[in-house]
Amino acid sequence: MTRPSIRDRLESDAWNRYPETARRIAGLQKPARRRNTHRSERYILLAYALLVIVLILRIETAHAEQDPFWGIEFHSGEHSLQAVAIDTEVTAEITGLLARVEVTQRFRNTESGWAEAIYRYPLPEGAAVDRMRVTVGERVLQGEIREKEDARRVYTEARDEGKVASLVEQARANQFETRLANIATGEEITVSIGFLAGIDFRDGVFSLAIPMTSTPRWDPDQPFAGSQHRFISADTTDAYRLTLDILLRTPLPLSSLESRFHDIDIATEPDGYRIFLADPDTRTDRVFELAWAPELGNAPQSALMSWDGGDAVYALMMLAPPIPEAIAPQAREVIFIIDTSGSMEGAPLEQAVAALAQGLTFLEPEDRFNLVEFNSDFRPLFEESVSAMPWRIAEATEFLLGLEADGGTHMAPALDYAMTLPARGELLRQIVFITDGSVGNERELLLEIGNKLGDSRLFTVSIGSAPNAWFMRKAAGVGRGIHTHVGRMEDVKARIASLWARIETPAVQNLDVDWGMDAEFYPEVIPDLYAGEPLWLYARLPHEPRDVTGSGELDGVYWETRARLVPGGGGENIASLWARNRIEALEDSRIFGIDADEVRQQVVATALEFGLVTRYTSLVAVDRTPSRPVHEDLAQSGAPSLLPAGSNFVMGFSQTATGWPAQLALSLLSLFVVLAMLLHTPPKRERRTTGSKSENPEVGA
Amino acid sequence: MHLRRRVLLGVALLLCAAASLDAAWIPLKAQAAQLLIKRSWNVVASGQPAPPPWPWADTRPAAVLEAPDHGVRLFVLEGSSGRNLAFGPTFANGTETGEDLVISGHRDTHFRFLQEIQNGDRIRITRHSGVETYEVVQTDVVDSRAARMLIDPGASRLSLVTCYPFDAASAGGPLRFVVTALPVARQGS
Repeated sequence: MTRPSIRDRLESDAWNRYPETARRIAGLQKPARRRNTHRSERYILLAYALLVIVLILRIETAHAEQDPFWGIEFHSGEHSLQAVAIDTEVTAEITGLLARVEVTQRFRNTESGWAEAIYRYPLPEGAAVDRMRVTVGERVLQGEIREKEDARRVYTEARDEGKVASLVEQARANQFETRLANIATGEEITVSIGFLAGIDFRDGVFSLAIPMTSTPRWDPDQPFAGSQHRFISADTTDAYRLTLDILLRTPLPLSSLESRFHDIDIATEPDGYRIFLADPDTRTDRVFELAWAPELGNAPQSALMSWDGGDAVYALMMLAPPIPEAIAPQAREVIFIIDTSGSMEGAPLEQAVAALAQGLTFLEPEDRFNLVEFNSDFRPLFEESVSAMPWRIAEATEFLLGLEADGGTHMAPALDYAMTLPARGELLRQIVFITDGSVGNERELLLEIGNKLGDSRLFTVSIGSAPNAWFMRKAAGVGRGIHTHVGRMEDVKARIASLWARIETPAVQNLDVDWGMDAEFYPEVIPDLYAGEPLWLYARLPHEPRDVTGSGELDGVYWETRARLVPGGGGENIASLWARNRIEALEDSRIFGIDADEVRQQVVATALEFGLVTRYTSLVAVDRTPSRPVHEDLAQSGAPSLLPAGSNFVMGFSQTATGWPAQLALSLLSLFVVLAMLLHTPPKRERRTTGSKSENPEVGA
Repeated sequence: MHLRRRVLLGVALLLCAAASLDAAWIPLKAQAAQLLIKRSWNVVASGQPAPPPWPWADTRPAAVLEAPDHGVRLFVLEGSSGRNLAFGPTFANGTETGEDLVISGHRDTHFRFLQEIQNGDRIRITRHSGVETYEVVQTDVVDSRAARMLIDPGASRLSLVTCYPFDAASAGGPLRFVVTALPVARQGS
């Protein structure tokens, strides 16, 4: 402090002139002390500021970021792979419980040179892909189903011969990829993919969700300058426009028809409604979800749709659950299991805790419950399950708030514990299992659940952005429960409430369906029928069904429902969905030890017969006339990386710095500063006040 | 000296010491974890399924990465999470079993050696399936906000990813340094 501020000078001036007042004020405010330690406090403040910076740096040690990326990449020799503008057009026809959807995307090869393009599209869960049409310039290519290797070979040969070719493969469950070869510069390509999706129906509302390619964020100040063939620009131009045309055929009058995330226009048609987007400038940046509800009094009954395929009749049956109001909730024992392994760290654990805390609030005093956390080890909260008294709930909530994510994911011991607890008289045991599902030994776990669950029911709640949905769904299936997915914190409330509404009323158990003849139907083991959640069965029958009855036990009493035949039927689509479900059942059978080769054979046979893209079959289309002169390079020279050998995918980057050197340097620096201050007595400053000495005897120690 | 001042300074001293230890712990942990992982890897090499390197670990070693030019030998883990990256370089999820390998590591611990890497350097990867030697052919700096990496299981290739610049003070920057290496056997063709 070489130059005291004007204010300082005025103050000391005033104190010299009015010592009495100064003393009094000093007594109140301790100004002298402030002045004397001004300097050292500053250092301390500085040290604290440094510490805060250090802590902020520490917190910044972020986690892997992996945004899903749906879209298109052009492979071009020495140049980058660029995402190009896409127009998306969705047409759908909804008949009864089925939707036939066609997604058409248009794009242009802006790369110079001949490119191979790959694009991927997310589909609704359980969708059956069976059609592909590609238009390149004037040429139209129609896809044909082949075995995967066969299709790949056909495609590769055509590509190398300079022909326009395309290939649709299933990369993972619900993720399909289209490859296009020999697209000339500036050429326009249109790809249409046709698929079938089942309509969702819960709590009196029908819905259909069509996922859209997300539009990655783009920072115009940081244009991606890379021209390296390894990377794809997350480009957004003014394209990515979406148009939509949905025909909803329904004989029932509707009480509501709405889109959750888009503004829509609705036109009335003789046999239903037609839906368009209201905003012509809509982008494909969020999922399209259409929901409709029949008028009250038209609560869906069990229904049956069929289609005569010549040598067999295909039928789709919806088993409607009893209306929840008609059944008294039952008391039960609920065992909550929560995953606190390392992978749950952060948002997943927060969501899991929120979900569980909400689950606790639904318990009634007649219910019993317990809480188990597991990571490398497991730990039940109570020695045995306890009555859900308010103070117990409070105790459990406190336990939840103290949970931390660390350690491995050892699910089996915790599940085992819950499944093998001694039965509590007549109480139904429900196990609610909350995890992000990142396990490797899925097969063993499913087998164990199948073997040990007994009369208990298993409900799975998957957490986070990339849970192993397949495993969680299968686990709930084997456990005769329901799977619920909570992706975001905002979802927790609604999803858990809806899960609870299902599990608090007794479900129809031991279901059986009498088709009146020999039937091959899926799922082979009919799950329990929960309130608000109908079941779908797909059957192949020798002849037209007449009177189909589902029966089971509700609260120990016989229960039955008769399916009403829906006029009009669903057409051949029912056969495709039956095949899709048969394939899923076949693939599941591998879990229970059926030979993989045998499964493959049967899946391939079914897929070829019904024209479906599966793990083992692909759609391939080849144009007969070469489009690229053979001597010109397909723009994928440079690196051998661009050979189409499998399912390409893109990934974001992990956070790959800890910042420890800077943190260490800063904290050591602060350490030295503080140490120096501690050891070194600051030189006495010139005292101008008379009051300070007497007021602050400890000064100058 | 004031008693209060001393107390304040004492507290600040403790906090600074704690922060220093916390920072110093990061590279120590990075080193120590590698030793533990080595034990786990030796079991893998003998043909048994890999046990987690320590009982509460949520990952396991999937490969050994060697860069003889830089005297580096590292165990690469499965699962690219921030937690795993503290213990070792990690495979990008799903690439550990394919041929288009992507390995991420911290620029200030395990992958610090990448700042000295040059075209032509050799990198050896040992997995269950065998050993492959790669030669560095290219290095890029990309903006992780605007770019995505393309994984092609049909390609035989190794990519090492770390944060960039190497001497940035704070973690969390958007730039990434990507080293691309191709199998030596294919270099000639």
